[in-house]
Amino acid sequence: MTDLVPPGVSAAAFSAALAEFRQALGPDWVLTSADDRASYLDPFAIGDRGDHATAAALAPADTEQLRAVLRIATRHKVPLWPVSMGKNFAYGTAAPATKGTVVLDLKRMNRILEINEDLGYALVEPGVSFFDFKDELDRRRSKFWMSGPAHSWGSVIGNALEHGVGYTPYGIHADTICGMEVMLADGSLVRTGFGAIPGSQEWQAFKLPFGPVLDGMFTQSNFAIVTKMGLWLMPEPAEMAGVTIDVPGRADLAQLVDTLRPLKLDDTINSTYTIANGMRQITGGARRGDIWQGEGAIPIAKIEQTLAARGKGWWNVIFNLFEHTAGGMDLRVERVRRHFAERMPQAKLSVVRWKQGEPQAPWMRQETSLAPLAVVDWRGSPGGHSDFGPVVAAVGSRVDALYQLVERRFVEFGLDPWIGMFGIGGRALVFVADMLYARDDKAMTDACKALLRQLCKDAAAMGIGVYRTHLEFMEDAAAAQIWGDRALPRLNARIKSALDPVGILAPGKQGIGRKPA
Amino acid sequence: MKLLPFCGLAIGAALALPAIAADGGDKWTPQTFYADRCAMCHGPSGWGTRTLSRRVPAGQAELTRRAQLPASYIAFVVRHGVGSMPQFTPTEVTDRQLTELAAWLARPPGAAAGAKSG
Repeated sequence: MTDLVPPGVSAAAFSAALAEFRQALGPDWVLTSADDRASYLDPFAIGDRGDHATAAALAPADTEQLRAVLRIATRHKVPLWPVSMGKNFAYGTAAPATKGTVVLDLKRMNRILEINEDLGYALVEPGVSFFDFKDELDRRRSKFWMSGPAHSWGSVIGNALEHGVGYTPYGIHADTICGMEVMLADGSLVRTGFGAIPGSQEWQAFKLPFGPVLDGMFTQSNFAIVTKMGLWLMPEPAEMAGVTIDVPGRADLAQLVDTLRPLKLDDTINSTYTIANGMRQITGGARRGDIWQGEGAIPIAKIEQTLAARGKGWWNVIFNLFEHTAGGMDLRVERVRRHFAERMPQAKLSVVRWKQGEPQAPWMRQETSLAPLAVVDWRGSPGGHSDFGPVVAAVGSRVDALYQLVERRFVEFGLDPWIGMFGIGGRALVFVADMLYARDDKAMTDACKALLRQLCKDAAAMGIGVYRTHLEFMEDAAAAQIWGDRALPRLNARIKSALDPVGILAPGKQGIGRKPA
Repeated sequence: MKLLPFCGLAIGAALALPAIAADGGDKWTPQTFYADRCAMCHGPSGWGTRTLSRRVPAGQAELTRRAQLPASYIAFVVRHGVGSMPQFTPTEVTDRQLTELAAWLARPPGAAAGAKSG
């Protein structure tokens, strides 16, 4: 039994609700023991894990049980925090924004309903992880590839809903969504797009229905619970190339971004590129204490010295090229080489190649992975990580100005400036400025919170917002949306109150539904 | 090795896979769970093994090679996490499965030849 109750709910009402939840789900799937609830805490909490503890977790097996949960929750005004796999590492994992909110764990809804080998799409439920999905594609010897994120423990649906990124031409995962089934707070089940037509074979084939395109409003939102999602899959390429570019100077970033941009815009670089700064490069296989024993952040000069000893420049770029015409990769690689030789001769390129039929290699990033967890202990164990993720137009001068600001603030707040950028879609970069911290060091976690709040303000002053954030900073991030007398947050609030008038679905997610807009 | 959700009889396109309950049905074993969900970090080259190699006696960094690994400790760590290892929820591994997994891992190496090959 739990000693914590959801916000705004009396102990008696919660007890009554739990009894009804047990009736609906069976006692095994209403999780209230201390051990069960601990399993939903944020393992990388920035400070006290208990600040985002859940009072209980509920695990429906299907949409009928889900509907029953929503009706009980509405009756007793119990707020719910839906999660798919609950592995949103660095952003709160499964934990709710507000302490006591009940986690609604959809892991048991775990069917792959369809993998269409003709049209290249899948229809899945929330509890399907990237591990599961890759296994199934392999088992079927599918001719389609998955675009996975850096770690594979999470949900295929959850990652797309949270605007996650992968490393293939299908790497903007939210862009691959085609058709959803969602359950509204009142238990109504809705199919978006052509799914509204019984017998449709186009639900996962075409994104633009007769009427509004609604899929987007259910991503990073708390307007409904996504129970099924269509996702497009990439045909297996004929050839791949893995490109690594070493750029020597810290001052070369603007030139680098302006050099990459035309190649990304015209689709020569047809997947996400990653730019890593010097700090990101020195952590691999190293321990911090071997590099720096002093106070505060590792000084920039020390990072440069470490890189020089390894023969590396400040910037490292990696991306993969995909080609569906056998023999076509030669032209693509040659264009990248010539372009860099003309515009950025100080950059050093290296290229590895693959052709269909050859064994796959790790650089192709087609295997499942948990690699990002390896850096979490950088500042000591137990460690944690979370990031500042601003989106910035792919214009060298603007990217450089933002980078300098972020790097300076990290050093100022005593945190190593572990900063990467993802070139996504050609016209913008998403920063992942990762805060690596020792979870038990309160001064350090306090510094992380202060740093991120400062950076949200700094970025907003430049007209820049973030793509995603940890639970701690939902409202800090949303605070930048002030155009038109906060017209967008007010619209979100109106939609929220129309679809979820009692406010039971994920209050506070993305700053929506916790405070008056 | 397949573990959690899908046993599938799906053939070709457009067939739904039958759902399997989160307890993995009859096919679940501690060995398959360990291979599918633990060994990526706790296998020979995993980051968990690398981390533990600095903390435990030589040759015992892999969990399957640990001389002493009490079942109660395993059960606690799986639900609560330890160090930088995230925890597992009851929808990923049920209490009954966790009891079996912990008992299997708690057996000393060599207690049953080959039993803890991971």
